Amino acid sequence: MPNDSKRINGPDATVPYSIYTNLNSESSELLIKNQLQFRVDKRKHNEFRKMFIRIGVVSQAKGSAYVEMGQTRVICSVFDPREIPNKAQYSTQGELFCEFKFAPFASCKRKGHQQDAEEKEYSLIMQRALEPAVCRHEFPNFQVDIYALVLDNDGSALSTAIMAASLALANASVPMFGIVTAVTVVIYDDLFIIDPTYKEEALCLKTIKKLKPVNHGIIMQAMLSQHDQISEFFLTGSMDINFVNSSIDILSKTSNEIYPVLQEALRKSILKMIKKKNQQEK
Amino acid sequence: MAEIPLSLAEKTFILHGIDADFRNDGRSRTHYRCMELETKLMDQVHGSARLRIGNTDVLVGVKVEIDTPYPDSPGDGKLEFFVDCSANATPSFEGRGGENLANEISNVLALAYQSPDAMDLTQLSILPHKKCWKLFVDILILECGGNLFDAVAIAVKAALYSTEIPKVKCATLDGGEADIALSDDTYESVKLDTTNFPILVSLYKIGDSCVVDPTSEEEMCSSASIVISVMPNGRISSIVKMGYGSVHPTTLSKTLDMGTKVGIELNNEIISALKREDELGLNREIIGFLR
Amino acid sequence: MESQYKTIHPAKYLRDHFASNIRPDGREFMSFRPVSVCVGSITKADGSALVKIGNTTVVCGIKAELACPKAESPDCGFIVPNVELAPLSSPKFRPGPPSEESQCISKLIEKILINSEAIDLKSLCIHKDKLAWVLYCDIISLDYDGSVIDACTTSLMAALKILTLPTVDYTPETGSIKIDKKNRIHIPLKQLAICTTFAIFDNQLLITDPTEDEEKHSLSTINIVFNEDDMCFVHKSGGIPVSQNLFSTCIIKAKNHGNQVRKLILAAVNCKT
Repeated sequence: MPNDSKRINGPDATVPYSIYTNLNSESSELLIKNQLQFRVDKRKHNEFRKMFIRIGVVSQAKGSAYVEMGQTRVICSVFDPREIPNKAQYSTQGELFCEFKFAPFASCKRKGHQQDAEEKEYSLIMQRALEPAVCRHEFPNFQVDIYALVLDNDGSALSTAIMAASLALANASVPMFGIVTAVTVVIYDDLFIIDPTYKEEALCLKTIKKLKPVNHGIIMQAMLSQHDQISEFFLTGSMDINFVNSSIDILSKTSNEIYPVLQEALRKSILKMIKKKNQQEK
Repeated sequence: MAEIPLSLAEKTFILHGIDADFRNDGRSRTHYRCMELETKLMDQVHGSARLRIGNTDVLVGVKVEIDTPYPDSPGDGKLEFFVDCSANATPSFEGRGGENLANEISNVLALAYQSPDAMDLTQLSILPHKKCWKLFVDILILECGGNLFDAVAIAVKAALYSTEIPKVKCATLDGGEADIALSDDTYESVKLDTTNFPILVSLYKIGDSCVVDPTSEEEMCSSASIVISVMPNGRISSIVKMGYGSVHPTTLSKTLDMGTKVGIELNNEIISALKREDELGLNREIIGFLR
Repeated sequence: MESQYKTIHPAKYLRDHFASNIRPDGREFMSFRPVSVCVGSITKADGSALVKIGNTTVVCGIKAELACPKAESPDCGFIVPNVELAPLSSPKFRPGPPSEESQCISKLIEKILINSEAIDLKSLCIHKDKLAWVLYCDIISLDYDGSVIDACTTSLMAALKILTLPTVDYTPETGSIKIDKKNRIHIPLKQLAICTTFAIFDNQLLITDPTEDEEKHSLSTINIVFNEDDMCFVHKSGGIPVSQNLFSTCIIKAKNHGNQVRKLILAAVNCKT
């Protein structure tokens, strides 16, 4: 780790203890498949975890949301539009600035304080997932800052962050075409697993070399459900085209299932706000 | 990407052309421009390639070094991509202008090669837990004339195809320390197994249809594009959406079908071109990148 | 009407409230905001705590790693506290390297940790000169609404209290390390240091537990940290001088408040274990 003069540094070389724990548990293909077939939390394969949503959690931000998807916890806040810094040209469309960050203690392996390549990539994906949903022509030459922080990563962190961000944008009364829902699915040997946990994600990326390639990988799809538009599609792994096409259907269906949950959470937050206002006036 | 100011009339003209499957330069929607590809043009690296497609010019060099493997994947080698957008390519790359684009390209490449189906990193292992090969793939964008993703991916594949890794004569563990001896003969080398290396196909949605290999002008007319990495056997190793627009699920499916078809064809063409170049032998004339 | 007044004349808005012996959020001068502590909620961390003081929210997560001890102190482990004032917690902060303020708070927290002697670094050593624990304590602000140092110390202490480490089986001859994840042990925490923040305004007006708006307009702040019975750290930022009388009141207040928060932490930890 490079020495960071602005922080308190530990010793030069430290190793996570987890590398010493499962030295001889070489996972066999059968075991992986078994673990994925019967999920630890007894969910069906097309079932997403219970969600917990709170809107308006950060008092200092214009809009904010906290979303729990099982054990995955993400907090996101949005601030007032400000002029795009260091820009000479006038841009007719407003911009979104997204920062996606894992808290250092959020993952199995400790993350550094600076954004790493993965986090930068996720920030860009978040930006692209949200841009089609925001009426950017309403605030030309301004940018809206969106910060998402993953406090606990138990899989599907990116899709949870995108949903938190879209709720935070709505909470900040940024004009939008609709709410973005995002779903992650992992695939292992023709098995679709919606909303994977951290362990399931890791299993699907770790493949066993076989003569015939097996379908495996992760797909994240962000959607504007009420307009039936895909705002972001992100796939890694290896699979054939028919498989990808059928997963688009499944992902869209799940998005449509999640959408009312987000809508209800927003509705409740607005009712609460009105109630509070009425009380104050009294 | 490089901004080219286009008037509304110009955009409409391009759009109508694409609707009629007859583009400004006479191509159909699935046609690529002519490509020039040359490998092994630089002596100081282990593998190199240069690709020119239309006005886009890309140079790729592959360097090989010995490194220690990551503790969580002790039996694998390492592969790293680095993209440099030269300020010569287009004025908007001056200073740190090209940095975002460069990051994006290297990320997409890393994703495309991530699956063990696409690139088997175990072939880069020398001694598990101790030593492995690390491939540095350096990509220099010399000129930017649209469709950077596809151009870079083809050049990378060609460069990796031409890469020669020194042969390891013996690798033993000596009291916990790795002891490695390389072959004395510099011509004795190992080639990478490139059968499954993917290429990228970007499909730009313009109007109601998608086109491959857009020129810079056509890129300006597109609000969304899909970058698909296709392996020679037709499997997909990554998909990324670019641009600020959104797409309908059925459009996405159709686009993916089209992309895979184009990708398989393109892969075949490139492999046969590389084979033809090999047949020319060691004494062929090298044109190089400075013409 | 009130919100406009607040935006246009923030300082006067505050002064007018003070003139009628009340604070903008309806508290009296010497009262505290409600404190809540939630421990062990982050599954991926070895120890974690979320602390809320009114709106102010801070989360602390501890990740333990292994390292070789330093040559000058071969029987000591490491503890590395860092405070991150996340850009999501306030419009004041921007992404990038830590601001001066967050560097100051990090340093302050480190000093509090050392001075309170809460943890004995020797208890983090596994094998002399060979292997020791490194506790990375990352404290992140989620909502920045004043008295952040109080929240940071409380969350750090609560996280250390709930922290468990796996047992290590180290063979010095071969250097082999075996770790039993199931069998986890607590680290003895000798003290629970609690910090209390005070803000001072004109005419030696003293308020406890200031919010961000109050802190911003205050002339000076005092932080007092108490272990059970002894004061272990005091910090008064520059600004105006403070009378001895006032300072004594602060100390008494800080001690009482510290005892209450300490009880709260212990109750939260007992609930969990």
